[in-house]
Amino acid sequence: MDRSLLLITIGGELAALDSAAIRSVVELEAITPVSRAPRHIVGLSALRSRAMTVVDCRRALELPASDARGPLAAVVELDGFLYALQVDGVEDVVPFDGEPAEIRAHLQPGWARASLGIVETIAGPVLLLDPARLIEGPPERKAA
Amino acid sequence: MDDLLAEFLAESRDMLEALSGEIVAWENDPGDRERLDAIFRFVHTVKGNCGFFEFPRLEALSHAAEDALADVRAGRRQPDQALVSAVLAVIDRIAAIVEAIGAGAELPEQDDAPLVAALSAHEDEVSPLAAARSLSASQSRRQSVMPRTIRLPVQLLDRVMSGVSDMAVARNDLARRLAQHDGETGLEGPFNRLSAIIGDLREAITRIRMQPIETLFSGFPRLVRDLSQELGKQVMVEVESGEVEIDREMIEVVRDPLVHLIRNAVDHGIESPADRRAAGKREIGLLQISARQTGSEIRIGIVDDGRGIDGGKLVQKAVAAGLLTAGEAALLSDRERNALICEPGLSTASEITAVSGRGVGMDVVRANIEKIGGSLTIDSTPGAGTRMILNVPLTLSIVPSLTVAVAGRVFAIPRSYVEEIVRASDEEMGRASVGGREFVTVRGERLPCIGLGEVLDLGQDPGASRLYVLLRLVGGDTFGLAVDEVRDHEELVVKPIPPVLMACGLYVGSTQLDDGSPIPMLDISGIAQAAGMIHDMKNRPTRRGRGEAQADERTLVPALLFRGFDGGERAVEMDAVRRIEKLPVAALRTDPDGGSQIVIEGRIVALASFGPLRIEGETINLFRTEAEGREIAWAYAEIVDLCEFDPAEVVAGARRKLALIGGRPVELYDSQALLAHPALLLPAEG
Repeated sequence: MDRSLLLITIGGELAALDSAAIRSVVELEAITPVSRAPRHIVGLSALRSRAMTVVDCRRALELPASDARGPLAAVVELDGFLYALQVDGVEDVVPFDGEPAEIRAHLQPGWARASLGIVETIAGPVLLLDPARLIEGPPERKAA
Repeated sequence: MDDLLAEFLAESRDMLEALSGEIVAWENDPGDRERLDAIFRFVHTVKGNCGFFEFPRLEALSHAAEDALADVRAGRRQPDQALVSAVLAVIDRIAAIVEAIGAGAELPEQDDAPLVAALSAHEDEVSPLAAARSLSASQSRRQSVMPRTIRLPVQLLDRVMSGVSDMAVARNDLARRLAQHDGETGLEGPFNRLSAIIGDLREAITRIRMQPIETLFSGFPRLVRDLSQELGKQVMVEVESGEVEIDREMIEVVRDPLVHLIRNAVDHGIESPADRRAAGKREIGLLQISARQTGSEIRIGIVDDGRGIDGGKLVQKAVAAGLLTAGEAALLSDRERNALICEPGLSTASEITAVSGRGVGMDVVRANIEKIGGSLTIDSTPGAGTRMILNVPLTLSIVPSLTVAVAGRVFAIPRSYVEEIVRASDEEMGRASVGGREFVTVRGERLPCIGLGEVLDLGQDPGASRLYVLLRLVGGDTFGLAVDEVRDHEELVVKPIPPVLMACGLYVGSTQLDDGSPIPMLDISGIAQAAGMIHDMKNRPTRRGRGEAQADERTLVPALLFRGFDGGERAVEMDAVRRIEKLPVAALRTDPDGGSQIVIEGRIVALASFGPLRIEGETINLFRTEAEGREIAWAYAEIVDLCEFDPAEVVAGARRKLALIGGRPVELYDSQALLAHPALLLPAEG
């Protein structure tokens, strides 16, 4: 059982990402904003010669924006593209075995949409997030 | 033929390599049926392939081995050591000959007869040893010529390529840090050397991704043959690849559009043999497919000697479909008429065949070509044939680009779109704002403009003096893109962007500048579409023609078509107009006697209106004229269009002139007519 989870904080809450999906945790330097991109997409940044799309996890989870965002991001690869998931903080890597359990409660819509289930860790129960759904972001609303 | 040969050699080599293990196993256990079958298949394949090429020695060798092995398979003969050795000797000889052919070297000077004899002989008659020994020499030679070509997975190439890109980024970083150290660091020499090496490497790696365009073309003769058979036509194909090399990925991207164009040419272009005979042509139609490299572009021509495109019929259809008015249609050049074939739903095929002509197609072809920064031009002579020219960039991954900045942000534009860069302060450039849309006039050509900052919501100050990058879309529509700064011409490595960004429709990819910072590359047709340009331009050919079209369009006069407060349409010659603008109602003053004035640039200017002046909203639409030293502002309700009319068709009545615009008669004003306008006389009378 050498699966492990990366514990992160987003909007003051602890959440988890499967370490197997994460290529690295990086400190984001310059981010090039991309105009008219969906709101949760911050812009483009570079990991050596590869461009990464920077995703603001707070916005992806429809949480209020905040300046408390740390400089760290978890880099994941999806369909050949690199994404940097910008989180408030990266806490720890903890061992994990078992499967995420179904959530038997109503969560806020953003969290409900992006989570795969609840996992028990030594830091307590946390939501396991699906990077693909974070990247996809909130469903398009009709422009006001 | 060369391709087939290379294929044959590669196949033989692959089989030989796979076989080497089998041969050893067979040697250990000559009764092993599976191994025997594998070896039999090999010699059989070689023999079969030799039929295509003239390799008598290979054929004789493989034929003899096949016979011997067939006997064993049929149980007519027991495999013994002698036979195994003889077969091995033959296979090794085949390998030696294949390598020699591949290397373009002379075939090994050896007598094959003893080998062949050894196959048919029985154990004690001829010792195959001598033959086998002579082979060990050629085998060692084979080792040395072997790695002339290798097959690699494309992913590996991509990895190497991105590794080299990483190196280039690291080098640039290093260069920046070196520059911070003033004076000699002693590292300049080695650094420059490293730079040069990385440069070379980059170039070599780009070449690796190139493939002869012939690999794309080689399937076309067959395609044409099948098509013409299906359609009962006779078509001769001439394919000429001109030794052009093209990016592997690009081959995949242009394949479908090309196949479509070829299908069209055979289906709609080339007539049936009977029709051709009736038209006094040879029964066999001719289709030429050729490629040329011109700079960083590849030009692919598909030329047929068929019936050509009926431009008149296309125009009729387009007018019937409401794509353009008869007046607009009359302004089109031949090329523009032919380009109508790319409009959705405008196929001239009177009957739909299984091959093409379903009304989808040419528009998709055009869109796909446009997407990769290419272009399509169609020239056609009715009755004599059609020439379709497809221009595509050499590679998808390295795009010659222009970098521009707006509101402090940098963007890349594929250079293939860029026509010209003009400065707002240039003498030969005029600017006008009409109905909220900006226009620039460059050498008599009036082009709609958009601010890049406006499209991208960057809060660019529209009034600031700026640069205009004139961009030409596929199909010839041109528009201006206002930017703050033009940075550089660069060759940029463009990478795809993820779906979540593609979905904006404004970007085609991302690229990195020398300092490693990523910047988006703009999707020019997407931008044009987002700004409502494509619609505007397709339906309103406001520009005066260029080149060949110039002669018949020169006489047209540009005009502003507008509606007065009474609802009536009028047109004013652009030459009479100094400026078109919107001003706040607050600047307006109306006399009790009906006269009005407006404050413009700190001056009081007399205001006249078309129809009784009616104020709605906070601004008022005006154009200003100046004649006989008198400046007058003219108020009207709204702009209808910018248009052109033919002065030859103007009807001058006693009191007014009428021009034919968009097929309708419209009251026309030039500067004389404006001076005589009753609105001007009103205040004086009152």
